[in-house]
Amino acid sequence: MRSPEEDTNDTFEAMVEVKLFATIRKVAGEKGFKTEASNVQEVLEEIYRKYGPEIRSEMAYCTILVNGRNIAHLRGKRTRLKEGDVISFFPPLAGG
Amino acid sequence: MLGGYMGRVLEVNLSNGERRLYPVSRRIRELYVGNKGLGTRLLYDLLPPGVDPLSPDNIMIVTTAPMTGTGAPSTNRVNITTKSPLTGAIVNSNSGGNFGVHLKRAGYDALIVRGKAPKPVYLKITEDEVSIEDAKELWGLDTHETQEKLPKEMGKLVIGPAGENLVKFACIVSQERVNGRAGVGAVMGSKNLKAVIAGGKMKPYIPDEEAYRETCKAWREVLKAHPATSQQLPSYGTASFINICNATFTMPTRNFKYGTWEETEKVSGESLAEKYLVKNTACYGCVIACGRQVEVQGKKVKGPEYETLGMLGPNILNSDLKAICEFNYQADLLGLDTISLGNVLGFVMEAGEKGLLKTELAFGKIDNIPQAIEDIAYRRGLGEDMAEGVRFLSQKYGGKEFAIHSKGLEIPSYEPRGAVGHGLGYAVSCRGGCHLQGGYVVYLEANGPITVDPLTTRGKPGLVVMNQTMLEAVSTLGCCNFTIFTMLMPKLLELNARSALVAKMLSLGFLYSGNLLGKSLSMPSWTIPVKPPFMMFPQVKAHAQCTGTNFTMGKFIELGQRSYNIDKLFNVREGFAAKDDSLPERLTEELQRSEEPNSRVRLAEMLPTYYKIRGWDQEGRPTDKTLKRLKIER
Ligand code: SF4
Repeated sequence: MRSPEEDTNDTFEAMVEVKLFATIRKVAGEKGFKTEASNVQEVLEEIYRKYGPEIRSEMAYCTILVNGRNIAHLRGKRTRLKEGDVISFFPPLAGG
Repeated sequence: MLGGYMGRVLEVNLSNGERRLYPVSRRIRELYVGNKGLGTRLLYDLLPPGVDPLSPDNIMIVTTAPMTGTGAPSTNRVNITTKSPLTGAIVNSNSGGNFGVHLKRAGYDALIVRGKAPKPVYLKITEDEVSIEDAKELWGLDTHETQEKLPKEMGKLVIGPAGENLVKFACIVSQERVNGRAGVGAVMGSKNLKAVIAGGKMKPYIPDEEAYRETCKAWREVLKAHPATSQQLPSYGTASFINICNATFTMPTRNFKYGTWEETEKVSGESLAEKYLVKNTACYGCVIACGRQVEVQGKKVKGPEYETLGMLGPNILNSDLKAICEFNYQADLLGLDTISLGNVLGFVMEAGEKGLLKTELAFGKIDNIPQAIEDIAYRRGLGEDMAEGVRFLSQKYGGKEFAIHSKGLEIPSYEPRGAVGHGLGYAVSCRGGCHLQGGYVVYLEANGPITVDPLTTRGKPGLVVMNQTMLEAVSTLGCCNFTIFTMLMPKLLELNARSALVAKMLSLGFLYSGNLLGKSLSMPSWTIPVKPPFMMFPQVKAHAQCTGTNFTMGKFIELGQRSYNIDKLFNVREGFAAKDDSLPERLTEELQRSEEPNSRVRLAEMLPTYYKIRGWDQEGRPTDKTLKRLKIER
């Protein structure tokens, strides 16, 4: 199995779990879905395809985690995915 | 004359009924402004070291700030400063609601309470009179009943049975808001003071009122346009953090044994909004309205905050959201801090499991929790010991390594082994295990939109100093901490989300220049005289206009530093030293995740740098040079 940090050129698609939170979930109307994708960018495209243009403004500021790690610390949207990865999408939250 | 202030500080001695005005000079007001800065300065001047916090000699100080109740958005805070019976350290407990506004309308910026009344009383403050009233009828009532019996139109601070019974983590309640932490309610109880009520029609002078109103209006627009304060907080309240903390291993689970739990989603802000939310509520003059109203037992009551959901949820392996709403309501009525409560319950459950003490309380079992909460408030059975907090429990029964506190204050709902800089914040916070005084670095490590590697110690001391300074300054100006989210400009957030390169650069930038950033805040205020971008720091311009002073970004930063250092000085005088800036072994030695060798808080790697950046010596004491730079007199 590969780790998400590995950036290889193959296009192996893995079955991953997509989780949507807060106002992103509200607009999508569901908590998430499972899909096949080889990297985060493909998951994003699937989200835009599934929920239409309305979701785009919600996603404008979003934080993306792969298995709890911010993709800023991985390879951004090129972060490769492996079977069973959980990709979470959060709008900018506040509170405490 | 300085604008915004009422110009008077009231001092009441409950032992002999004496009331007088306490003189506060213009210099002290300019240096310490209000809220927690002013509160600690006054306590430092008035309270000799070594006083028993629950004795008549302890002093309770209620403070507001110049902007309080003047139309500035979310600037309604009331702060209580005293020596904590839970920790023996300084405590500044800050809350929203409306009491601060009413105290100013009665004509006072602050209230100093000394002594102990011979029998239960309440204090009534109006523009015409200050009277000490008999509270025989109120003593024993819960916080809701007490408020119901007092005049509707006045602002109120009340305690419940927990405060009367000197529970070390009793809180003070005002409307449905609480000054929660470190036992401020017990100090009120120890003075036989059931309530303070205030009201009137006075207004402070503001030099250029028209310009100030315009600024406040523009500030409201900034809050209404920011994605964090206009969408997430109103939609999900503080509970919006539950899911992201769970995803990033920062959700205390099973008495801080783990940082994530598969059931957490059930107690999230999203679930709360979907199932129980009746409507949003707001403190006085707030456009954000992060408060939740839920329905419990057929009554519409305050819903749980993030902290309560975490501590009475995953921390005790409870995924029953309705039950948390009920526990929260019960704790508020009795006047108990829910952070300490959840932490104490978690400790007792684990200690029971390990055979250190006898209890029916157990992880995942919730039917006996209402009884335990009541037992704590009335100090019955094991509740007598639980009322003393986890430090006491671990000293009596053992289990120090999993007694999750710092300086005696129970740690709130962020598991620091998933965000180690946040852990440093807990350890150094002057009031003990506190996320806010700790600097809330978890936002830069795990649950915010721009994050640095959460498990490295690099740059973290500086980031802790930076965040502590900003939060301290905002708080001292009397603003709600949530107004600080505007620091992260929407455009920057958008760029960060859109471009991997920008995200990486920001992340690495914070990491590698973190310590430098922290250090740069020690520059004298005249070197940073700039007016910051309004949409990032509206507080600075508003405070300058409200007071009619030349308040700059440099002074804002210096205020945050001064306010933090006077807290520290108070603790140093009480005998606190570097050994007290600590965390339990579970957090510093045990790995949170066996596959993550850095998933523990390596305090020793961060503390010396933190002290150095702060301008403190190796024992964590502010040096003379630092005090001189900040114009702090011992
Ligand atoms: S954001 Fe929330 S806590 Fe802050 S003032 Fe508004 S309602 Fe009160």
